Amino acid sequence: MAVVLLWPLGYAVYLSTFDYHLGSPGMRFVGLANYAQLLSEARFWQSLWTTIGIAFGSVAVEFGLGFALALALYRLTFSTRVFMILLFLPHIITPVVATLFLKWILTSNWGLIDATLATFNINPPDWLGNPMWARVCVVLADAWIFTPFVMLVLYAALQTLDQAQIEAAKIDGAGSWRIIRHVVLPSLVPVIVFTVSVRLMDVFRFFDTIYVLTGGGPGTATETITMYTYQLGFQLLQVGKASALGIITLVIVAAIIATFSSVLQRGYGRN
Amino acid sequence: MSRNSITRRSFVGAAAVATLAPCITPAKAAGPIRVISHRQPALEYYTDQMKKALPEGQVSVELMPIDKEVELASITMSSRSDAIDVAYLNDTTMQKFAASGWLEPLDDLWAKYKDEFKLDDFPKSVIESISYNGHIYSMPILTNTEMFFYREDLFKDNGVALPKTMQDYMEAAKKLHQGRVSGTVMTLKPVDGCLNEAHWYLNALGEGWFDKSWKPIFNQPAGVNAISTMKQMTAFAPRGFTSAANDESTINLQQGLAAMGLQWFTRAASMDDEKKSRFVGKINWIAPPGGGQRIANDGFAISKYSSKDKDAIFKMVATAASQESMQRGAEFAMPPRLSVLGDPGLAKKYRWYPGARASLEVGKPFPSMPDFLDVGAIVTRYILQAVTNEKEVKAALDQAAQETTELLQTRGYYK
Repeated sequence: MAVVLLWPLGYAVYLSTFDYHLGSPGMRFVGLANYAQLLSEARFWQSLWTTIGIAFGSVAVEFGLGFALALALYRLTFSTRVFMILLFLPHIITPVVATLFLKWILTSNWGLIDATLATFNINPPDWLGNPMWARVCVVLADAWIFTPFVMLVLYAALQTLDQAQIEAAKIDGAGSWRIIRHVVLPSLVPVIVFTVSVRLMDVFRFFDTIYVLTGGGPGTATETITMYTYQLGFQLLQVGKASALGIITLVIVAAIIATFSSVLQRGYGRN
Repeated sequence: MSRNSITRRSFVGAAAVATLAPCITPAKAAGPIRVISHRQPALEYYTDQMKKALPEGQVSVELMPIDKEVELASITMSSRSDAIDVAYLNDTTMQKFAASGWLEPLDDLWAKYKDEFKLDDFPKSVIESISYNGHIYSMPILTNTEMFFYREDLFKDNGVALPKTMQDYMEAAKKLHQGRVSGTVMTLKPVDGCLNEAHWYLNALGEGWFDKSWKPIFNQPAGVNAISTMKQMTAFAPRGFTSAANDESTINLQQGLAAMGLQWFTRAASMDDEKKSRFVGKINWIAPPGGGQRIANDGFAISKYSSKDKDAIFKMVATAASQESMQRGAEFAMPPRLSVLGDPGLAKKYRWYPGARASLEVGKPFPSMPDFLDVGAIVTRYILQAVTNEKEVKAALDQAAQETTELLQTRGYYK
């Protein structure tokens, strides 16, 4: 475990203290200069805010939709399994392939949406070419792929609900919304914390969807921290700086997850 | 047990030695020669010639978009892997790879096979463009220039004169931007596409990229004006121009979704291909308004880390670049060989050659620095921020110039 986890991490920390460009003959020790340089860069902060926006946007859509679908499945009295399989399909496909589908749907002029709307003389927005729409498309693409995962976990958690509590609430005259808010949601807090934390961690590190859909563009509109790390490491070949950015990302994600987890646990305690 | 009897242990030992022998003896790696290349009609033709140069199955070719190809080659060669044997490189990427020590110098092989493959047929300027620090690193395969493609029928029908300046170009784009037909193609996908388009604007309207000491000047008033003009032109570009690569712009021209614009010589033949184009014979070519568009000399280089027989690889590439091969390849790309270029029949046979010659006279190569593509990776992002209204043009170019200076500082450009 230590070898698998700590050795690569330790090596990344080690590399992050060097000015190491793959095209140059040697490595130069620079201490924390890579970190200082990154933290003083406008591009780093911009990619961080883009990441936060996309991450929270995606997880909010996924949780809202996933919870609604899980409840719908929970209340369904027929063909539950069939609907679940159908709803789970987008998650079965490899993200890169799923995103390629979406790209051909969203691409300008000859994409499925544009070609369809063009027959009705409707000019749609430039889905992947306009910065605002590109961000929306990235959020929706991620939500399309991962909502089924959230739905499945929450549906499984709903199976474990104490029916006696729901029945008691009904007898007390509580409506559907109040039952969801005061009975269902508090019971699901541990699972919600787990699911949202896992998804947040995932979205903070997600790369494939953006790489295929927008490549971080237009400009830097969808350039997340991982896209920036990729560009530093694999295009500019600045291995030291890319490693430093990787370590910074790790620290940020850990801090966000810890904060989110403690706030949610305090706000929705199991009492 | 007699001395001559074969025991189970000695049999197993002998079998093991026989099995491992090929691994122990030094031999050239087995498997096909792996060639990776950008995908476009001319390179499809030349990589096919490489396949035909050796018996079937001995060459494997992978074609992909240029940015992916350069990325794959960078990652593979920087890790000193022998997974790639031959890579297509333009003059800019060749310099970067040669400076990094990832390419095999070809001087000895060049001298060895000079007569067999008539390598003196390449002009001095081409040899210089495929050399770095006095060593040859690549086999020239095509001379390329961007040209101005335009729909002759649309220009006539709308009474628009052929543009000579950027101002004329903008006026023409305004007039021709009607319905589903965009005024002009714009190829702004980072890095390569956007870099080429910006190169044209910065040379035609600005003062280029750098001063003599490699300090960025693209954020000076002339450069800001150039990129501001580029931003204005996007109003007449097809939707999706920010992620349009050469393939998308080519299709836009072939399918009548754009009236004109900048595109490579290597795409000209496909405009008259009935299987791909709806406007065969209706598209024509001239030198780009204002000049200063990109010209390039592209070739195939051998990886320093290739474990295959380098003589065999060189001969394969040289066969693809032979006089006979380039005579046929002239349809797709301008051949760098003097004997082929001087053929007066070319202009008669291929109607885009006069436009190409005119374009070559006014074009400019990228700045001659190994790190220019890295600069491009930075600058194109900010140019796109400017044209999509995410940032003011001046602010975007200032930030790009600052990051470029920092990058070049770390690469030892400033004393």
